[in-house]
Amino acid sequence: MKKKILVVEDEEGLRLFYEEELKAEGYEVLTARNGREAIERLEKERPDLVILDIVMPVMDGMETLGRILGKDRKIPIILNTSYSGYQQDFMSWAADAYITKSSDLSELKRKIKELLERGRNR
Amino acid sequence: MILAGGRGERLYPLTRDRAKPAVPFGGIYRIIDFTLSNCLHSDIRRIFVLTQYKSTSLHRHIQFGWSILSAPLGEFIEAIPAQQRINEHWYQGTADAIFQNIYTLQQEKPDLVLILSGDHIYKMDYRKMITYHIEKGADLTVGAIRMDRKQSQEFGVIEVDNEWKIIGFQEKPEIPRTIPGDPEGILASMGIYVFKTEILVRRLIEDARSESTHDFGRDIIPAMIGKDRVFAFDFRIGDQGGNGYWRDVGTIDAYFEANMDLVSVTPQLNLYDSQWPILTYQSPNPPAKTVLLEEGRVGTALNSVISNGCIISGGSVIRSILSPRVMIHSYAEVEDSILMEGVDVGRYARVRRSIIDKEVHIPQGMKIGFNLDEDVKRFTVTGSGIVVVPKGIRL
Repeated sequence: MKKKILVVEDEEGLRLFYEEELKAEGYEVLTARNGREAIERLEKERPDLVILDIVMPVMDGMETLGRILGKDRKIPIILNTSYSGYQQDFMSWAADAYITKSSDLSELKRKIKELLERGRNR
Repeated sequence: MILAGGRGERLYPLTRDRAKPAVPFGGIYRIIDFTLSNCLHSDIRRIFVLTQYKSTSLHRHIQFGWSILSAPLGEFIEAIPAQQRINEHWYQGTADAIFQNIYTLQQEKPDLVLILSGDHIYKMDYRKMITYHIEKGADLTVGAIRMDRKQSQEFGVIEVDNEWKIIGFQEKPEIPRTIPGDPEGILASMGIYVFKTEILVRRLIEDARSESTHDFGRDIIPAMIGKDRVFAFDFRIGDQGGNGYWRDVGTIDAYFEANMDLVSVTPQLNLYDSQWPILTYQSPNPPAKTVLLEEGRVGTALNSVISNGCIISGGSVIRSILSPRVMIHSYAEVEDSILMEGVDVGRYARVRRSIIDKEVHIPQGMKIGFNLDEDVKRFTVTGSGIVVVPKGIRL
């Protein structure tokens, strides 16, 4: 069965870009435009991994990260952001990986693979 | 961060309408006043009180009594109710309570976090523990006190090496590891922790992301032993009373005894230490008063603690604690009892070995604590025969 990835990203262009790239890798891709949508999709569609932007309208990534853990404490989460400063935020330490956004997705893809292989065993 | 969310179920009915830290103690205090006073005297002035169940009374007490710090100097005592920012449950354990407030911790970003319980009565200089923590280069330091081996099932039991490094931790064990050279003693955790903030946050996150009861004693401390530098701190070093006084008052009987200690000639808990006054909130009341000096009708109070606003009018009070605004009418007799704020004892009424909660009016001639078989039909009666009359009851 295809692994399901939830991409949470407010910028439409980027969202499509991740969707295309990850589909090409053989994943099923769900998308959300902000934290609130992400929580809804998480509850309904039970993804295997979440890629989470931080700076978003409606509900930002740090807030969303806490909420996700409140619903599913073991799901792998990758913070994917243009800013490195959020690594100072305590809540960011709860993510399984922190990746600075880049047009080269090789690091992101490698992390996804690694975390999906590890699965829910922490 | 003061954990003040415990239900205090074994103190029922005193905790029917209030959280345990808000339970009155010693006439004018609430249990949490001891921990808060310790903080202030230890120069700790950035304080969060984490509440959840039945917190109205506690919030009001903190607002009325403890709005004494200077916000412009960065000082605060702030009561935070469970905000359900991470999930919609109540706090699942002591560690979860801190984890759920991780955003609050983020705002402050301190170097060290002192975690306390709002449930205990003792006087302690936390500065000594913090200095010790720094000197040991510890990631976590746990306050520890010697207790009798028989009480092991009430405590986290700590095992230390010669340097007081923690090498074992059993949560409420049936068969505890006793103190070397002291087969009747155990080293019990007081639920007082000093953490390096970064280690605290990392361990809380690891715990939050795994199957766990999310409790410091059961989960966090055992997971840290062998991995981090975890030390025990001997309470005797920080004990401001100098006699090892520390009480959990977790049961009605323990609560009763701890109060009754205060009416003895030299109580174990010294409330008269001008170096370490216990602060609280009191509504403005006139001084206590005894009246009537007639044949057979004398207002007396002996071996008792009498708060402001009380009037003992032609009745007698012996070995008892009266909170503010208690009224004792003529020919009434009160012995070995705790009467909370606003209690009114009618003429010829007799009260013995009882705890009467706030604003209860005892009608003329009623007897409480004399016939336990009768009392148990209406009130809570403990194993040792203490009668508890709950708040708001109409007699």
